[in-house]
Amino acid sequence: MNQPAETFRDDSGLAARDSELECTFRDPAGQLRLTARHALRRIRPAAVESVRAFLSSPLRAALEKSGDLIPSQIASSGDHSFIPRGEFWLEHPRIEPITYPWEWTPAQWRAAAELTLSIASQAIRAGWTLKDATPLNVVFAGPRPVLVDVLSLERRDPNSSLWLAYGQFVRTFLLPLVAAKHLRWPLQATLFVRDGYEPDEIYQALRPWQRLNPDLFDVVTLATLLERPGKAQNATAKTPSKARDPKLTAHILQRRIARLGKQIRRAANLRESSRWSEYTQQASHYQPTDTENKKRFVKETFERLRPQRVLDIGANTGTYSLLAAEAGARVVAIDSDSAALETLWRSAAQNNKSITVLVANIARPTPAAGWRNREHFSLLDRLTGQFDLVLMLAVVHHLILREQLPLAHIADLCATLTRRWLLLEWVPPSDPMYQEWLRGRDDLYGHFSENDLRHAFDSSFAVVDRVALSNGRVLLLFERHSSPAAVAANGKSAEESAA
Amino acid sequence: MRLLRVFPLALVVVGAVLLFERPAYAYADPGAGLLAVQAAGSALVAAGWYLRRKIYALFRSEPASEPTPGLEPEKQLGPAGGEDSPNP
Repeated sequence: MNQPAETFRDDSGLAARDSELECTFRDPAGQLRLTARHALRRIRPAAVESVRAFLSSPLRAALEKSGDLIPSQIASSGDHSFIPRGEFWLEHPRIEPITYPWEWTPAQWRAAAELTLSIASQAIRAGWTLKDATPLNVVFAGPRPVLVDVLSLERRDPNSSLWLAYGQFVRTFLLPLVAAKHLRWPLQATLFVRDGYEPDEIYQALRPWQRLNPDLFDVVTLATLLERPGKAQNATAKTPSKARDPKLTAHILQRRIARLGKQIRRAANLRESSRWSEYTQQASHYQPTDTENKKRFVKETFERLRPQRVLDIGANTGTYSLLAAEAGARVVAIDSDSAALETLWRSAAQNNKSITVLVANIARPTPAAGWRNREHFSLLDRLTGQFDLVLMLAVVHHLILREQLPLAHIADLCATLTRRWLLLEWVPPSDPMYQEWLRGRDDLYGHFSENDLRHAFDSSFAVVDRVALSNGRVLLLFERHSSPAAVAANGKSAEESAA
Repeated sequence: MRLLRVFPLALVVVGAVLLFERPAYAYADPGAGLLAVQAAGSALVAAGWYLRRKIYALFRSEPASEPTPGLEPEKQLGPAGGEDSPNP
């Protein structure tokens, strides 16, 4: 499971988030602890033998080689002082930031589901089975989905034609996509359901003719009708789940997985488009020369500063995230518009760029969730202090006008997110986009100027570069006053001048 | 022809059942429905599997007990999984 557990200082000396002793607890086979660099998994004694068997299997080697499964190695108490002697622990590389299914675009849901089905299919061929199939076991490393729960694989009974994770896959992968496509329930609503939707929840909400849809009939309608008291027992009692021929059981399992794959592909085909997904092509407030000047300034800034980690807030279709990735940065791109981000995710996946996309609104960030709010981190917990450079291109006017946030608060947030640089595009009140959101509130918001912005950011940042575009917009590069790197650089130059 | 006359009626009956049925609020084990769907799917695929074997057997020209001299004995037909096998 990818749920966060305790996070604390590890032997590398890197600071981790907090030191609360809270482990994952749902999986009977093991618990997970996070350090700054690793995810460490304690394997309970009863599960050690089967985990060792999987680690030495060709299936594990093949899945790790293809990148579908997170790499594992046996951790020793020498490397991690908190591991008691005699206990069996696995060490995995840490994937940061974790993104949760309620922050994925539909195409990412499909990619995660197809990864799960592909692993399940490979496991069946190799004599294993995937016993858990939930999106919470998949993490995106950049644009690529990776299965992180190595305890999900176990030896398969060759005579059983049941896939134990079938129900979980349907509830947690397929039905949220079905609900998004046919009922317009947002995928973000899965934040509130740990184990997905039950078939009858969807059944009740579907229109009568939708219940007969061939893609939904088995997993929604039939499943609901068979769940009525007295019917399920009869159906399961009459139908054989054991067959003598192992070839037949493998064939049945593979057919089931192929059928689920088809259903996922159809359900994930939402054909979404939004105002913002076509924004860059339709933006009439930008002349080509301004666009070119903006791109050049941003690109030169990346090449000069060489940030390793970049956060792009309001990334849209990711023109500037891609520039950052091309300059060698690992990028996290946030936008509240799922359709726009989906375009970015596709280009990142096709070009193998290190960009993690995340559907979220920075003004209403994803909350912490789960048991005691400690199973899943809040968005700001995952982002705070993680970036060398934060991009906020044409975002501040949204925060002022749509979210009604004071400039000083926006500056405070930026100062917590970036370790050093902030590249911001100021949109003045004369701009058509500013005017559109102003909606007659000129007295309240019509007077803001670049000076007001700079004044608000003064307490945390200094302006180190500035470019004015001919459309009135301004690009500002800020450096944080107290950034660790800036302090070190200042200290060094002071020492040099003293010498 | 009789079947053609009965089919629309059957469709209307099934549709009416689905339209006018009311939810039952008694307890049922969650997940039992999907388990039953899976079991039913297994049965259908298995039926397709055996049926296909039977059909292949019908078209076999020579019984396996009398191989033609000089020719390789006919190989056992293996499992045939096609795109058309049913699996709801």
